[in-house]
Amino acid sequence: MDTGKPNQVLPRLLSLIETSKRLWWQFFDWLAVVSWSYLVFVSFICLIIAGILGLGSIVPLLVFSSFLIKSLAGGKRKAEIAADAASVRANMEALERRVLEAEMASLQAQIEPHFLFNTLALIGQLIETEPEQASIVHGHLIKYLRAALPQIREKGNSKLGQQIELCRAYLNIMQARMQERLSFSIDCPKELQHYAFPPMMIQTLVENAIKHGLEPKTEGGHIHIGAHLGESEIVVDVNDNGLGFDLQANEGIGLSNIRERLKVLYGFRAALSIEVPETGGAHLSLHIPV
Amino acid sequence: MKKFTALIVDDEAHLRQHLRHRLLQVWPELEVIGEAANASTAQQLYLEHPVDIVFLDIRMPGQSGIEIATHFIEKSIVVFVTAYDSYAIEAFEKGAVDYLLKPIEKDRLSHCCKRLQERLSLGSNSSLVSNHLNDIKNCLVQLGSSQEISSKKYLRWIQAGVGNGIRLISTSEILYFRSDEKYTSVRTEQSEYLIRKTLKELEDELDPHEFWRVHRSALVKVGAISSVLRDEKGKQVLSIRGIQEKIEVSRNHTHLFQQM
Repeated sequence: MDTGKPNQVLPRLLSLIETSKRLWWQFFDWLAVVSWSYLVFVSFICLIIAGILGLGSIVPLLVFSSFLIKSLAGGKRKAEIAADAASVRANMEALERRVLEAEMASLQAQIEPHFLFNTLALIGQLIETEPEQASIVHGHLIKYLRAALPQIREKGNSKLGQQIELCRAYLNIMQARMQERLSFSIDCPKELQHYAFPPMMIQTLVENAIKHGLEPKTEGGHIHIGAHLGESEIVVDVNDNGLGFDLQANEGIGLSNIRERLKVLYGFRAALSIEVPETGGAHLSLHIPV
Repeated sequence: MKKFTALIVDDEAHLRQHLRHRLLQVWPELEVIGEAANASTAQQLYLEHPVDIVFLDIRMPGQSGIEIATHFIEKSIVVFVTAYDSYAIEAFEKGAVDYLLKPIEKDRLSHCCKRLQERLSLGSNSSLVSNHLNDIKNCLVQLGSSQEISSKKYLRWIQAGVGNGIRLISTSEILYFRSDEKYTSVRTEQSEYLIRKTLKELEDELDPHEFWRVHRSALVKVGAISSVLRDEKGKQVLSIRGIQEKIEVSRNHTHLFQQM
């Protein structure tokens, strides 16, 4: 017990010092910001109270030193406080602006007119030659538009399952158009389909794979979409065996858009990684925290 | 009357059928002698059977329709078929060649065919056609090159080995390159990669407006610099947006950061 006592005293002493330090700085900040007239008024009240209580000697000293501190260091401290507040505000504004920009960007992740008109041309042709097939492609197009049109897209509760279905509708349409030049496979376990997942990201990767990897390749190729649960994250891979990446081509709005949205939504916990396997093609992965 | 011939070039089989079908309706006398799914097949077919009219899709795998149009333009009339390409439409407003928008409307196609018939009845060697030939060629050359308008191409992706694969990092993500003894390290906001390319090679291949050499061992993205400060020894030190590391500017490069 004897050894226990100093052990208790020391932390108490330290916390007392800590508290008085904090109070002193609070007092100092208050001094810096408060207006002169208010300080005079408060000092006057204090002097009266001190007079009544008989603390005549300490309080006038305190009041005098307050005046001295305010006139000597108050201005600098006041400027510091104002600068701090401004920088906090600026950070907040920058963050808000980025969230807004990312939202705008996701709205702008639009349907390519080229895709829409070509698909309508296909349906037009099929109506005359294979009406049943026309009706199937028409159904895929409706499914695609429901999920892809920004005006209709449901806000805030996008699920992995929906995103995969959107890609499936898109790939079905592209397959009807490109025929034997495109094949695809999708592997998304049932239990993952209800996880929340940001909209239009997998779709953008799939569109990229078709546009830059497979469409320009004369013999076409294969796209595989796979989802699995990693360590506290969902990983969605989009692999193709197309032309791969042109190292001198710009990143494109699609990919930088995804990156910006991931940063705003998840900070550094999410990532988009791009790999080029030695066998050719491209291998893109989205890592989204659960 | 002589029977005119045509060739349809489009990478999508359904759309070739569609056009053939429509042509049969609006111009039954026209003989479509062939279809091609890509540029090389089209050129081969054309060599075997030179036709009067070539219906040419613009977006195709391999070479685009615009790139190969010059092969046909001297002896045949080219009609571009496109789903949506505003730049193409603009150019064809000049009236040199006709163009069709997909999905192809019947009325529009019959209008196009009438124009083609008029043009063909004048004979392919008429002054009208040859006068336009150079215009058309110039126009096509411009269109073809408009896709690669920047004369010099810069490296936009950095390949870094990660595990068994090769990771691609967009230059828009990169904050700076720094040379170690053996490797060059590539710094992004999130992580760091090592590559074998030297700073000198990178400096030559990257856009010089985007990346500045500020030190023998550092190549910095200009857009990532948040401030330039002088330290106690009078050396300029760069702060980089989003990360803590600072980069020193060597004496030879201080002119890059002078006050205006």
